[in-house]
Amino acid sequence: MAGERRHGAGANVPFPGTPLADVQSQLYDLITAPEGAAKRLKELGRAPSDLETIVRSSGQLSAVERVDVYANMYFFRILEVLADEYAKIVTLMGADAFHNLVTDYLLACRPAHPSLREVGARLPGFLAQHPLAEDRPWLSELARLERLRLELFDGPDAEALTLDAVRALPPDALPELALRAVPCHATLRTEYAIAPLWRALEKGRAERVEEDDTPGDPAKVAETILIWRQQFTVFHRVVDPDEVLCLPLLRDGATFAAVCEQVLGDAPAETAAQRAFELLARWLGDGLLIA
Amino acid sequence: MAQEFPYLGHGIGLRPPHYAEVVASPPPAVDWFEVITENFMVAGGNPRHVLRQVRAHYPIVLHGVSLSIGSVDPIDETYLTGLAALAAETEPAWISDHLCWSSFGGHTGHDLWPLPFTEEALAHVVARIQMVQERLRRRILIENVSSYLELAHSTLSEWEFLTEVARRADCGLLLDVNNIFVSARNHGFEAAQFLAGVPVDRVKQIHLAGHRDEGTHLLDTHDHPVCDGVWALYRAAVQRFGAVSTIIERDDDIPPLAEVIAESRQAAAIEAEVLAHGR
Repeated sequence: MAGERRHGAGANVPFPGTPLADVQSQLYDLITAPEGAAKRLKELGRAPSDLETIVRSSGQLSAVERVDVYANMYFFRILEVLADEYAKIVTLMGADAFHNLVTDYLLACRPAHPSLREVGARLPGFLAQHPLAEDRPWLSELARLERLRLELFDGPDAEALTLDAVRALPPDALPELALRAVPCHATLRTEYAIAPLWRALEKGRAERVEEDDTPGDPAKVAETILIWRQQFTVFHRVVDPDEVLCLPLLRDGATFAAVCEQVLGDAPAETAAQRAFELLARWLGDGLLIA
Repeated sequence: MAQEFPYLGHGIGLRPPHYAEVVASPPPAVDWFEVITENFMVAGGNPRHVLRQVRAHYPIVLHGVSLSIGSVDPIDETYLTGLAALAAETEPAWISDHLCWSSFGGHTGHDLWPLPFTEEALAHVVARIQMVQERLRRRILIENVSSYLELAHSTLSEWEFLTEVARRADCGLLLDVNNIFVSARNHGFEAAQFLAGVPVDRVKQIHLAGHRDEGTHLLDTHDHPVCDGVWALYRAAVQRFGAVSTIIERDDDIPPLAEVIAESRQAAAIEAEVLAHGR
């Protein structure tokens, strides 16, 4: 949460002790302090010169300045990664607000995974609770879409079922054809029209629209977005209501007959079958089904 | 059994902007590639595809940034399992990481923080390298990092510490010549003294890179070509260590692949020239 501060476990260990654990505790605390080593030392009731008991000053830099080299690298490296991952959020919030968001985020959700790729995993959830998004609740939904696309970019591989393979089946085998979605897919239920907002932002980026001309707020229209990877490209699209009902079947694995039954609803059987074939053709075209 | 730490010649660090060109046909004229381990510890997609393609044509080395060998935190078992699995799949010529700490209290800093050069830190690091080597069933290389601060209670020089780590843990060394150059300027020691203090038989790989002069200190940014001073130090390194597998690292303001390869060939030419004139 904004404004809250959490510090390293060893923040109260006195400087004179220099075992490895104490040194790492003190340095971690200072390097990750959001407003730099000098401010953090002040909070701890210590003078900047106290730091020289563990860090030597150089001819050019004081001990505090030397620690701040690392403090700046810590924050700005992560900021750069997150700004790249959440480029559309940056466009909408502006760089300064995003900087402040990341400052708060790193206090609340300290990186805990060896890969930098995971640093931003909790940002959409954090954003949903953050004052900066209070009047724009759809920002966290957009962030979720950006994050899911990243996660699927290098998600598990699977060979996709092709239209030719299905066509080669004898007609009486089709009802029992096992349909299962490739593992590299996800669905996102949103309260706002995030997909059109995404398109507008992409168009703006392609046309180099100025920051002031960013798209307006999305309509409060719920949608379900399907995100998946075909070969090495991640796609997403809004899913029709009857397709929404079929996606859990594909996730768990189902026969084409079961999909037809799901689509049937109150519709005449012929119409339902036609629609089921349309959906099957679309999924095959998308590379959504596993071979 | 494959030779441990074979001489691979002169390569480059594989980076995403070059993926398409590297996997294109014909493959570019590079002796080998070093890959950042963490970039490929993913389930699939283009990174793993590229890695398979590259491995089909070149020797590779896995170079990690997250082992945090000097941290007082426990070694991340999940990370180690992932590293072992990636190594089993890609059969790298060797595996390397940095002599630093980058995590504390279960949190990661995604940086290479310097250790105090003390007996306590030495014993700690040696025990952890031994554990990692046993787990991976191979010796690893440990790299000296660039640093911007020195711990006041260090009792050894960096090269003494590095040498003792290698000797006691029985690991190899990845000597980053740019990092020596950067740290020498930042801490006021002689880079030549560092080179002279490192045992010849432990050095199995060399890194070359560019850095940025911030006025008050040098920053290891990998966003410039290798500078004249680092080339001169590399020449001295070849005179001392002989033919050692070498790569060029570039991580920011990444130029076209051909430019990075040209730097790699420049390193090869320097090595050939030094060796031709006798060390």
